[in-house]
Amino acid sequence: MEGLIGNLFVTAAFFSALASMILYGIATQKGSSGFIERTADWLWICKGACTIAVSALLVYLIVNHRFEYFYVWNYTSTDLETLYLVSALWGGQEGSFLVWIFMAFLVGLGLIRWTRKPYKKPVMFVMALTQVFLISMLLGWDIFGLKLGASPFRTIAQEMPNAPFIQANPDFVPSEGTGLNDLLQSPWMAIHPPIIFVGFAMMTVPFAFAIASLWEKEYHDWVKPALPWTLAANLSLLTAIFLGGYWAYETLSFGGYWAWDPVENASLVPWLIGTAGIHMMIIQRKSSRAHKGAIFFAILAYIGIVYQTFLTRSGILGEQSVHSFVDLGLYNQLLAFMLTCLLIGIGMYLYRYKEIPSAKTESAILSREFMTFTGGMLLFILGMVIILGTSSPIIGRFFVDHPTPPEIQFYNDWSMPIAIIMALMTVVGQYLFWQKHNWESLASALITPLLLTSVASILSIILGDVRNLYYMVFIFAAWFTVIGNGTMILHLVRKNPRLIGGALSHVGFGTLLLGILASSAYNEVLLDQRMQNYNAMVEAGEVYDEQGFPVREKAETFMLELNSPKLIANRYMVTYEGYSITDSPRPGQQQYRIKFEPVDGGRTFYMNPDVYPMQTTSTADNIEWSVEPHVRTGLLNDIYLYVAGSAYVDELNERARGSRPGGVQPVTGQMESEPSEPENESQTIKFQKEQSVEVGPYRFTFVDFRPASEESLPDNTLIGVRSLVEIYHTPTSSAYEVEPLFAVYTEDGQSWTYSPPLQIDRFDLSVQFTRILPDEDSIELTFGGLKAEYEEDWVVIVAEKKPFVSVVWLGTFLLMAGFSVSILRHWSREKNENQS
Amino acid sequence: MKPKLMLGVGAIVLFTSLLMYNFGTSISTYVNFEEAENRTSSHVVGVWDSSQDYGFSRETMQFSFHMKDEDGNVRRVVYPRPKPNNFEQATQLVVIGEMRNNVFYANDMLMKCPSKYNDPSEADFVNAEEM
Repeated sequence: MEGLIGNLFVTAAFFSALASMILYGIATQKGSSGFIERTADWLWICKGACTIAVSALLVYLIVNHRFEYFYVWNYTSTDLETLYLVSALWGGQEGSFLVWIFMAFLVGLGLIRWTRKPYKKPVMFVMALTQVFLISMLLGWDIFGLKLGASPFRTIAQEMPNAPFIQANPDFVPSEGTGLNDLLQSPWMAIHPPIIFVGFAMMTVPFAFAIASLWEKEYHDWVKPALPWTLAANLSLLTAIFLGGYWAYETLSFGGYWAWDPVENASLVPWLIGTAGIHMMIIQRKSSRAHKGAIFFAILAYIGIVYQTFLTRSGILGEQSVHSFVDLGLYNQLLAFMLTCLLIGIGMYLYRYKEIPSAKTESAILSREFMTFTGGMLLFILGMVIILGTSSPIIGRFFVDHPTPPEIQFYNDWSMPIAIIMALMTVVGQYLFWQKHNWESLASALITPLLLTSVASILSIILGDVRNLYYMVFIFAAWFTVIGNGTMILHLVRKNPRLIGGALSHVGFGTLLLGILASSAYNEVLLDQRMQNYNAMVEAGEVYDEQGFPVREKAETFMLELNSPKLIANRYMVTYEGYSITDSPRPGQQQYRIKFEPVDGGRTFYMNPDVYPMQTTSTADNIEWSVEPHVRTGLLNDIYLYVAGSAYVDELNERARGSRPGGVQPVTGQMESEPSEPENESQTIKFQKEQSVEVGPYRFTFVDFRPASEESLPDNTLIGVRSLVEIYHTPTSSAYEVEPLFAVYTEDGQSWTYSPPLQIDRFDLSVQFTRILPDEDSIELTFGGLKAEYEEDWVVIVAEKKPFVSVVWLGTFLLMAGFSVSILRHWSREKNENQS
Repeated sequence: MKPKLMLGVGAIVLFTSLLMYNFGTSISTYVNFEEAENRTSSHVVGVWDSSQDYGFSRETMQFSFHMKDEDGNVRRVVYPRPKPNNFEQATQLVVIGEMRNNVFYANDMLMKCPSKYNDPSEADFVNAEEM
């Protein structure tokens, strides 16, 4: 019943959008026609009301656990917190379209309210057009076998008519859903996608204004209202990119904040083209030039969004991305949407091309127009390079049959030089933007910033021990951006603080470049001595595997045994102090305690990474684990650490496999030469000084060495020492101290060890001091008569030191601040002009 | 005007051809294990062969398993990192690396999981029902 109502609302929204589009179109063609326009406005609001109804209904179904609906069953379960129940609304593809549509509705309301005369109707026409396409993705119609959209209200019986239980009982309602993917159960998930869609929705506005200007042949004024919208769209995209990067870094173990993943690129490319468009719009606004570029990029930014939506949601990138979306069979619809935007946008652009005003004279190289234009072009070129890389499944076919994605190196190789040129140009551009210069006056104005830049660069190069010439150039360019634009901010603040938006964004850009270089090129894997030696040998080509081939992959993990400290990276004594099962926020979650003691006397700190079983994908006989890294954020360095394996996880895996009925039993420990010790025989355990080990009801502590008296030693003894061992019996709370003896003596020219067992009659236990391991600073004790087995506790750790990640965030914040200042400035200007 | 235009067109042509050339060399093609034998770096697509031993060795810090490529060739794969999350769940694996003496040494591995947002596969469904 609810499903029927939901589908009715979707259909109503679709037709209101369609009708509103047609009416806005008629109103535009007819010129002034108040009634039609007002009807179209109301239809837009009606569309919004329907969208809200659809969303509310879907949330209602989710909150009430109506698992007969596929969307509810597939993305939620009864044990989800309320926050995640609501955010499950955009956990799936259908719902995320819904959020996009809703955001576009709000943007449309703003446009209806604020847009001035000649533009409003055609702008709203374009807005409505995009809505028609987006809502069509949710229709779920089946017209003679041609499927149109996927309804969020389809039932499981409709989704899977061939499933055996549906055939047995068509009215079957599952009592539990499959749940929201564990990785999405994060507070970041609740805000990251909506902000992306705010950006997507707002980026429609410059596209709509560009089309409107072409339609109405009003090429001059459109940038004034379009500029603040574009800036706001870019601010949202930037915020969303930041949140996504931070989420990936902080809670998902992706290893970093950026990986050139297709879906990440999907939000970066529209941002770059949008920023290129902003540069063009600023020239047009300020100097009445570059109309063609401004209109072109405004169109392209939105096409970029639709194209990247197509790439990520059509299933075409399925094998290449961590963000693989379910293929809903929307390929053709998405393609049609993209082609329509392309046809209308580029078609109208070419149709009017000759009429679009262009400058009579060329701008000189040393002019703000030329510099700003070049800046925009560079951003655009960078965007094109990234689009090329992301499109490898399509464009790569010109080269090979089954193209793979390009290597990460491809993106780095191209973005680095482009970034360097951009960085240098921002400063020259800013200086020319606010004042006319010739070569001579520009050179004299830039002397101070250049001097300061050189000092900063040389200091960074020396302090950071930078040896790579390319990086040195990069560092210079980045510092020049920060210092040059920073100087400009100081000038502007005195004149009018509202003017600093551009310069501030550029400072943010330079800061970002510094942070990116430091954190990615100088990322250090933290390892213990043994793995460091191993890696040195790998580097020298001295390591061979079982087959006799040289090993080229360096190790990135190290192992810690319980309470036995290791020196890591020659800087920290690191100790694994055990784990606790916190069951929070997920059942079965464990938190590990890793102690870091800097050897140079810094403050001791703890890292507490988590490991948890994935609720949605684990089964009784196969547990899947996910990790949550701990990031210790510092001003200069972040330490990033996660547990890649532990004795506890291994044990649970073994147990789970044991429960597998007649299934295959993979041997996890096949290469570990550790035969499990049978009961009642002796067990040898390694101790460091003051270390305690618990076995069954006992706790053994190696307190210290004790001198051995002469008479207890055999003749010709070389070494003789006792160890003071404390044995604590937990059930009876009784403690014993024993001092087993260890001696090395010579007889007939050979060395022998002497370690007589000490009997503890009360517990039927024997203790023997069997070995000294001087290089590990520990001893071995052998116990007889232990009923329980000693379980080693260990963790495998991945740890990295990432310098100046904080600077990456700082750069992002400065960029955001710059955009915000510009939005305020352009928005208030537009409002004033509207009122006058 | 003319020489400037020529210069511009020349620069664009140069840039584009350089970019396309570099793009062409930085992508490669998916191959099977047999074809990978004669290459220095290959991408192989396949599925995990769960009938054979697999596991992470704490000794060598390597994860090793058997994989069946799309043409049915089964080879041992060695991956120099811990077993990734979701390994058993992956419906498809892509290993990137080098084949040496019938063992594939992967330096990277991608997993296609049923979906980030849970795939509506029927096997999944039956499990959920049993629970």
